Amino acid sequence: MTEIEQKRRPGKILGVLALLSVAAGLYFALIKAPPDAYQGEVQRIMYIHIPSILTAYLSFFIVFVGSCLYLWKRERRDDILAYAAAEIGVLFTALTIVEGSIWGKPTWGVWWTWDARLTLTALLLMIFVGYLMLRSLIEDPERAAVSGAVLGIIGFLDIPLIHMSVYWWRTLHQPPSILRPDKAPWDNVHPSMLIALAINFIAFLLLYFYLLSLRIRVGETEERIRTKTLEGAA
Amino acid sequence: MGPWGFVWLAYGIVWAAIVLYLVGLKSRMRKAHARLSQLKSKEGTDKHAT
Repeated sequence: MTEIEQKRRPGKILGVLALLSVAAGLYFALIKAPPDAYQGEVQRIMYIHIPSILTAYLSFFIVFVGSCLYLWKRERRDDILAYAAAEIGVLFTALTIVEGSIWGKPTWGVWWTWDARLTLTALLLMIFVGYLMLRSLIEDPERAAVSGAVLGIIGFLDIPLIHMSVYWWRTLHQPPSILRPDKAPWDNVHPSMLIALAINFIAFLLLYFYLLSLRIRVGETEERIRTKTLEGAA
Repeated sequence: MGPWGFVWLAYGIVWAAIVLYLVGLKSRMRKAHARLSQLKSKEGTDKHAT
Protein backbone atom coordinates (compact mmCIF):
# COMPACT_ATOMS: atom_id res chain seq x y z
CA MET A 1 0.00 0.00 0.00
CA THR A 2 1.44 3.39 -1.01
CA GLU A 3 1.77 6.35 1.39
CA ILE A 4 -1.10 8.23 -0.31
CA GLU A 5 -3.36 5.15 -0.13
CA GLN A 6 -2.56 4.75 3.61
CA LYS A 7 -3.52 8.42 4.19
CA ARG A 8 -6.76 8.00 2.23
CA ARG A 9 -7.92 4.86 4.07
CA PRO A 10 -9.32 6.54 7.28
CA GLY A 11 -11.01 9.14 5.05
CA LYS A 12 -12.67 6.40 2.99
CA ILE A 13 -13.94 4.63 6.15
CA LEU A 14 -15.33 7.98 7.39
CA GLY A 15 -16.96 8.53 3.98
CA VAL A 16 -18.69 5.12 4.07
CA LEU A 17 -19.88 5.72 7.66
CA ALA A 18 -21.18 9.17 6.65
CA LEU A 19 -23.06 7.71 3.67
CA LEU A 20 -24.68 4.98 5.81
CA SER A 21 -25.69 7.44 8.53
CA VAL A 22 -27.11 9.88 5.94
CA ALA A 23 -29.26 7.03 4.53
CA ALA A 24 -30.44 6.17 8.07
CA GLY A 25 -31.08 9.85 8.77
CA LEU A 26 -33.23 10.23 5.64
CA TYR A 27 -35.24 7.12 6.58
CA PHE A 28 -35.93 8.37 10.11
CA ALA A 29 -36.62 11.97 9.03
CA LEU A 30 -38.90 11.27 6.05
CA ILE A 31 -40.54 7.93 6.89
CA LYS A 32 -40.19 6.83 10.52
CA ALA A 33 -40.77 10.10 12.42
CA PRO A 34 -44.42 11.17 12.82
CA PRO A 35 -45.68 14.53 11.50
CA ASP A 36 -45.80 17.33 14.06
CA ALA A 37 -49.18 17.96 15.71
CA TYR A 38 -49.14 21.69 14.86
CA GLN A 39 -46.73 22.14 11.94
CA GLY A 40 -47.57 18.93 10.09
CA GLU A 41 -45.13 17.52 7.52
CA VAL A 42 -43.04 20.70 7.08
CA GLN A 43 -41.59 20.13 10.57
CA ARG A 44 -39.46 17.39 8.91
CA ILE A 45 -37.24 20.20 7.59
CA MET A 46 -36.07 20.62 11.22
CA TYR A 47 -34.23 17.27 11.00
CA ILE A 48 -31.74 18.93 8.62
CA HIS A 49 -32.10 22.55 9.77
CA ILE A 50 -30.93 21.98 13.37
CA PRO A 51 -27.99 19.64 12.45
CA SER A 52 -26.92 22.14 9.73
CA ILE A 53 -26.62 25.09 12.11
CA LEU A 54 -25.00 23.03 14.89
CA THR A 55 -22.44 21.75 12.35
CA ALA A 56 -21.82 25.33 11.18
CA TYR A 57 -21.27 26.42 14.83
CA LEU A 58 -18.79 23.56 15.29
CA SER A 59 -17.01 24.54 12.08
CA PHE A 60 -16.62 28.16 13.14
CA PHE A 61 -15.43 27.01 16.58
CA ILE A 62 -12.69 25.07 14.74
CA VAL A 63 -11.91 28.26 12.76
CA PHE A 64 -11.65 30.12 16.10
CA VAL A 65 -9.31 27.52 17.63
CA GLY A 66 -7.19 27.20 14.45
CA SER A 67 -6.94 30.99 14.14
CA CYS A 68 -5.89 31.47 17.79
CA LEU A 69 -3.27 28.70 17.45
CA TYR A 70 -1.96 30.22 14.20
CA LEU A 71 -1.58 33.70 15.72
CA TRP A 72 0.19 32.12 18.72
CA LYS A 73 2.50 29.56 17.08
CA ARG A 74 2.52 30.59 13.38
CA GLU A 75 2.28 27.00 12.18
CA ARG A 76 0.87 26.52 8.67
CA ARG A 77 -1.19 23.44 9.61
CA ASP A 78 -3.35 25.55 12.00
CA ASP A 79 -4.06 28.03 9.21
CA ILE A 80 -4.89 25.20 6.77
CA LEU A 81 -7.34 23.79 9.37
CA ALA A 82 -8.99 27.19 9.97
CA TYR A 83 -9.31 27.92 6.22
CA ALA A 84 -10.80 24.49 5.53
CA ALA A 85 -13.30 24.78 8.41
CA ALA A 86 -14.34 28.30 7.32
CA GLU A 87 -15.18 27.12 3.80
CA ILE A 88 -17.34 24.23 5.03
CA GLY A 89 -18.88 26.44 7.72
CA VAL A 90 -20.04 28.85 5.00
CA LEU A 91 -21.67 25.96 3.13
CA PHE A 92 -23.61 24.76 6.22
CA THR A 93 -24.63 28.31 7.25
CA ALA A 94 -25.96 29.04 3.75
CA LEU A 95 -27.88 25.75 3.81
CA THR A 96 -29.31 26.59 7.25
CA ILE A 97 -30.66 29.90 5.92
CA VAL A 98 -32.16 28.22 2.82
CA GLU A 99 -33.81 25.43 4.89
CA GLY A 100 -35.12 27.97 7.41
CA SER A 101 -36.55 30.09 4.62
CA ILE A 102 -38.33 27.11 3.02
CA TRP A 103 -39.73 26.13 6.44
CA GLY A 104 -40.68 29.76 7.20
CA LYS A 105 -42.93 30.21 4.16
CA PRO A 106 -45.63 27.65 5.13
CA THR A 107 -45.17 28.21 8.90
CA TRP A 108 -44.75 32.00 9.27
CA GLY A 109 -46.16 33.00 5.89
CA VAL A 110 -42.92 34.67 4.73
CA TRP A 111 -39.66 33.48 3.16
CA TRP A 112 -37.64 35.98 5.19
CA THR A 113 -38.10 38.45 8.04
CA TRP A 114 -35.59 40.79 9.72
CA ASP A 115 -35.84 38.89 13.00
CA ALA A 116 -32.81 39.17 15.35
CA ARG A 117 -31.74 35.53 15.03
CA LEU A 118 -32.17 35.42 11.24
CA THR A 119 -30.34 38.72 10.78
CA LEU A 120 -27.44 37.67 13.01
CA THR A 121 -27.18 34.34 11.13
CA ALA A 122 -27.09 36.25 7.82
CA LEU A 123 -24.38 38.46 9.34
CA LEU A 124 -22.39 35.33 10.30
CA LEU A 125 -22.62 34.15 6.69
CA MET A 126 -21.53 37.57 5.38
CA ILE A 127 -18.54 37.68 7.76
CA PHE A 128 -17.26 34.27 6.63
CA VAL A 129 -17.97 34.92 2.93
CA GLY A 130 -15.84 38.04 3.54
CA TYR A 131 -13.21 35.78 5.19
CA LEU A 132 -13.03 33.58 2.05
CA MET A 133 -12.87 36.64 -0.24
CA LEU A 134 -10.12 38.20 1.89
CA ARG A 135 -8.11 34.95 1.74
CA SER A 136 -8.39 34.75 -2.03
CA LEU A 137 -7.57 38.44 -2.61
CA ILE A 138 -4.33 38.66 -0.57
CA GLU A 139 -1.48 37.08 -2.53
CA ASP A 140 1.07 36.82 0.30
CA PRO A 141 0.06 33.60 2.18
CA GLU A 142 1.43 34.80 5.53
CA ARG A 143 -0.51 38.09 5.38
CA ALA A 144 -3.63 36.25 4.19
CA ALA A 145 -3.33 33.82 7.11
CA VAL A 146 -2.91 36.59 9.73
CA SER A 147 -5.80 38.69 8.33
CA GLY A 148 -7.97 35.58 8.07
CA ALA A 149 -7.15 34.56 11.64
CA VAL A 150 -8.18 37.97 13.02
CA LEU A 151 -11.43 37.96 11.03
CA GLY A 152 -12.09 34.31 11.97
CA ILE A 153 -11.84 35.13 15.70
CA ILE A 154 -14.10 38.22 15.36
CA GLY A 155 -16.62 36.25 13.25
CA PHE A 156 -16.90 33.48 15.82
CA LEU A 157 -18.03 36.03 18.45
CA ASP A 158 -21.33 36.35 16.53
CA ILE A 159 -22.33 32.79 17.50
CA PRO A 160 -23.09 33.45 21.23
CA LEU A 161 -25.15 36.47 20.06
CA ILE A 162 -27.14 34.23 17.65
CA HIS A 163 -27.80 31.68 20.39
CA MET A 164 -28.87 34.26 22.99
CA SER A 165 -30.82 36.51 20.55
CA VAL A 166 -34.10 34.65 21.20
CA TYR A 167 -33.80 35.45 24.93
CA TRP A 168 -32.53 39.02 24.61
CA TRP A 169 -34.95 40.32 21.96
CA ARG A 170 -38.62 39.74 21.07
CA THR A 171 -38.14 37.49 18.06
CA LEU A 172 -40.39 35.58 15.68
CA HIS A 173 -37.90 32.70 15.84
CA GLN A 174 -38.87 30.37 18.67
CA PRO A 175 -36.48 29.69 21.62
CA PRO A 176 -34.29 26.56 21.38
CA SER A 177 -36.07 23.19 21.75
CA ILE A 178 -32.89 21.18 22.40
CA LEU A 179 -30.19 23.44 23.90
CA ARG A 180 -32.27 25.13 26.59
CA PRO A 181 -31.18 25.60 30.21
CA ASP A 182 -34.54 24.89 31.91
CA LYS A 183 -35.54 21.57 30.27
CA ALA A 184 -33.87 18.36 29.12
CA PRO A 185 -34.39 17.65 25.37
CA TRP A 186 -36.53 14.55 26.09
CA ASP A 187 -38.89 16.65 28.27
CA ASN A 188 -39.54 18.98 25.37
CA VAL A 189 -39.44 16.78 22.23
CA HIS A 190 -41.16 13.40 21.67
CA PRO A 191 -38.61 10.51 21.73
CA SER A 192 -39.50 9.41 18.15
CA MET A 193 -38.62 12.92 16.92
CA LEU A 194 -35.58 13.18 19.16
CA ILE A 195 -34.18 9.89 17.76
CA ALA A 196 -34.64 11.15 14.16
CA LEU A 197 -32.92 14.40 15.10
CA ALA A 198 -30.04 12.61 16.88
CA ILE A 199 -29.41 10.27 13.91
CA ASN A 200 -29.40 13.20 11.49
CA PHE A 201 -27.06 15.14 13.75
CA ILE A 202 -24.63 12.17 13.83
CA ALA A 203 -24.92 11.92 10.01
CA PHE A 204 -24.11 15.63 9.60
CA LEU A 205 -21.15 15.33 12.00
CA LEU A 206 -19.68 12.34 10.12
CA LEU A 207 -20.26 14.08 6.79
CA TYR A 208 -18.69 17.25 8.15
CA PHE A 209 -15.53 15.49 9.34
CA TYR A 210 -15.30 13.64 6.01
CA LEU A 211 -15.53 16.93 4.06
CA LEU A 212 -13.09 18.58 6.48
CA SER A 213 -10.53 15.77 6.05
CA LEU A 214 -10.77 16.11 2.24
CA ARG A 215 -10.52 19.91 2.35
CA ILE A 216 -7.49 19.74 4.68
CA ARG A 217 -5.78 17.35 2.23
CA VAL A 218 -6.45 19.84 -0.61
CA GLY A 219 -4.92 22.61 1.56
CA GLU A 220 -1.87 20.48 2.44
CA THR A 221 -1.29 19.57 -1.22
CA GLU A 222 -1.58 23.24 -2.26
CA GLU A 223 0.94 24.11 0.48
CA ARG A 224 3.37 21.48 -0.87
CA ILE A 225 2.91 22.92 -4.40
CA ARG A 226 3.70 26.40 -3.07
CA THR A 227 6.83 25.15 -1.26
CA LYS A 228 8.04 23.25 -4.36
CA THR A 229 7.37 26.27 -6.61
CA LEU A 230 9.38 28.51 -4.23
CA GLU A 231 12.21 25.94 -4.08
CA GLY A 232 12.22 25.76 -7.88
CA ALA A 233 12.36 29.55 -8.20
CA ALA A 234 15.22 29.88 -5.64
CA MET B 1 -47.08 24.03 -3.06
CA GLY B 2 -48.22 21.41 -0.50
CA PRO B 3 -46.36 20.61 2.74
CA TRP B 4 -44.42 17.72 1.16
CA GLY B 5 -43.40 20.05 -1.68
CA PHE B 6 -41.60 22.29 0.83
CA VAL B 7 -39.99 19.24 2.46
CA TRP B 8 -38.69 17.83 -0.87
CA LEU B 9 -37.48 21.30 -1.93
CA ALA B 10 -35.45 21.72 1.29
CA TYR B 11 -33.99 18.21 1.22
CA GLY B 12 -33.29 18.44 -2.52
CA ILE B 13 -31.39 21.73 -2.26
CA VAL B 14 -29.39 20.58 0.77
CA TRP B 15 -28.24 17.24 -0.66
CA ALA B 16 -27.62 18.67 -4.15
CA ALA B 17 -25.42 21.43 -2.66
CA ILE B 18 -23.48 18.95 -0.48
CA VAL B 19 -22.93 16.54 -3.42
CA LEU B 20 -21.83 19.44 -5.68
CA TYR B 21 -19.38 20.67 -3.03
CA LEU B 22 -18.01 17.12 -2.62
CA VAL B 23 -17.56 16.71 -6.39
CA GLY B 24 -15.84 20.13 -6.57
CA LEU B 25 -13.54 19.18 -3.68
CA LYS B 26 -12.55 15.89 -5.36
CA SER B 27 -11.84 17.76 -8.59
CA ARG B 28 -9.63 20.30 -6.74
CA MET B 29 -7.81 17.38 -5.09
CA ARG B 30 -7.16 15.68 -8.47
CA LYS B 31 -5.88 18.93 -10.01
CA ALA B 32 -3.61 19.64 -7.01
CA HIS B 33 -2.16 16.08 -7.11
CA ALA B 34 -1.56 16.35 -10.87
CA ARG B 35 0.23 19.70 -10.40
CA LEU B 36 2.35 18.29 -7.57
CA SER B 37 3.33 15.22 -9.63
CA GLN B 38 4.23 17.52 -12.52
CA LEU B 39 6.48 19.62 -10.23
CA LYS B 40 8.11 16.49 -8.78
CA SER B 41 8.86 15.03 -12.20
CA LYS B 42 10.24 18.41 -13.37
CA GLU B 43 12.42 18.53 -10.24
CA GLY B 44 13.68 14.99 -10.99
CA THR B 45 14.45 15.90 -14.63
CA ASP B 46 16.32 19.07 -13.56
CA LYS B 47 18.43 17.13 -11.00
CA HIS B 48 19.19 14.43 -13.60
CA ALA B 49 20.25 17.10 -16.13
CA THR B 50 22.71 18.70 -13.69
